Amino acid sequence: MSKIIAVHSYKGGTGKTLLSLNLAATLAKNGKKVALFDLDFRAPSLFSILKAENVECWLNDYLNNTCDAEKILVDLSSRIPGNGKFFAGLANPATEAIRDMSAKDRKWEMRALGKLLALRETLLKNQKFDYLLFDTSPGLQYSSINAIVAADFVIVATTSDRSDVDGTKRMLAELYNLFEKKTGLVLNKVLDSSATAKKAEMSNKIKSVYQVPMLGIVPCFCEILRAEGNLIFVEDKPDHPFTKIVAEMVRKIENNEVN
Amino acid sequence: MIKDEMLAKRPISVLEKIEESLERLNQKIEVMIEIQKGGGQRSSVSLPDASLDVMTLLSMPDHLRKTAMAICRCDRATAEEIAGQTSRARAVESAYLNQLVIMGYLKKQRKGRKAYFYVERETQG
Repeated sequence: MSKIIAVHSYKGGTGKTLLSLNLAATLAKNGKKVALFDLDFRAPSLFSILKAENVECWLNDYLNNTCDAEKILVDLSSRIPGNGKFFAGLANPATEAIRDMSAKDRKWEMRALGKLLALRETLLKNQKFDYLLFDTSPGLQYSSINAIVAADFVIVATTSDRSDVDGTKRMLAELYNLFEKKTGLVLNKVLDSSATAKKAEMSNKIKSVYQVPMLGIVPCFCEILRAEGNLIFVEDKPDHPFTKIVAEMVRKIENNEVN
Repeated sequence: MIKDEMLAKRPISVLEKIEESLERLNQKIEVMIEIQKGGGQRSSVSLPDASLDVMTLLSMPDHLRKTAMAICRCDRATAEEIAGQTSRARAVESAYLNQLVIMGYLKKQRKGRKAYFYVERETQG
C-alpha cells in the first residue's frame, strides 16, 4: 500500500501544490493522520498558502540534521473538519535559506535522501501517520528526485501543453521507470468543457500516450484561479466539482486502485 | 607439517578464510566484468567514498541500481536481506554489493560469519 506519495511534474505551474495540498486535506477529512511536506526549496509556497505562524523548525533544518522530524511539523488539524490529523513540514521561504539549499553538494543530497527515507520509521511507524505527501519542485532537481526515490507512489501532474507532454513522457521513461516507481497521472487544466462526459475516452487516450495509469482528469476551473492560492479549496468549497474529483483520486489511493 | 596440524585443529576457520578469499576474488572478477561492459571506460568504477546520491543511482547500470536502491532503504543489511527485497539470489546480491563496496559507494563490516553492507552518511558539520 502506498504510504509515502510524491507529487511531481516536468514543468512548473502544472498544479502540484494545489493537488498535494487538497489531496492531503481530503485524506485528513477522511479521518487519516497526514503530513504534507514542501520540498520545493527554490520556491517555497505552502508557508504562504497555509499562513502558518510561529514555525519552530523548517524542513530545511530537519534535512540539515539540526532538528527532529516531529519538531518541524505544524499542526493544522483545526482547519479540517472531523477527527483526522493534518500536519505540514514547511520549506523556509527566506532568501538566505533558498540560497543555502541551492548550494548543497552531492554528499549533502545523499544525506538528505537518508533523512527522507528515515521518515518511514519516525513518522509512519513510530508516530502512526497514515500518509506522508511530498510536494516537489518541477523537473530533475535533487530534492525532487530524492522525494521520488523515498516515495511508494508518484503522482505526475501534467497539462496538454506540447512541451509538457514530451517532457513528461521522457521523465516517465528515464526517471520513474528506472527507479521502478508506481506512477499515476493527473491531467490538469483540461480546457474541454465536456471532459467529464468524455472521461473514459480521454482516460484511454492518455493511457496510450503515457503508458501509465490515470489517477484523474481536472478541468480548468476559474474558481480555483479566483481563490488565488488563499485557501484549502476542498475545505472551503465542499460541493465544488474539483472537490469531488480530488475525493475520487483519494478513494483510488486509499483502495490501492491506481492501475 | 605445521599447516597440516592447523588444518586438523581449526577446519572451520580455514574454511572461512577460503570463503573470504573466494569472495575477494569474486569481487575483483565482478569489477573486471563491469569495466569490460563499459567498453573499457571506467565510468562506473568510482573513487573510494563516492557518494551514493540520486544522480549516481540514475547513472548506474540497472542491475546495480536495484541493489543500491534496496540498500538505501535499509540502515544496513546482509546480502540475504537485500535478496529478500530484490527477489534475486543471495549470491548475486553478494557479488553486486561487493562491487558497490569496491566502487566506493558502500561500506562493509563483518560481524562473526555475517557481512553487513551500509551507506556511510557521516554526521553533518
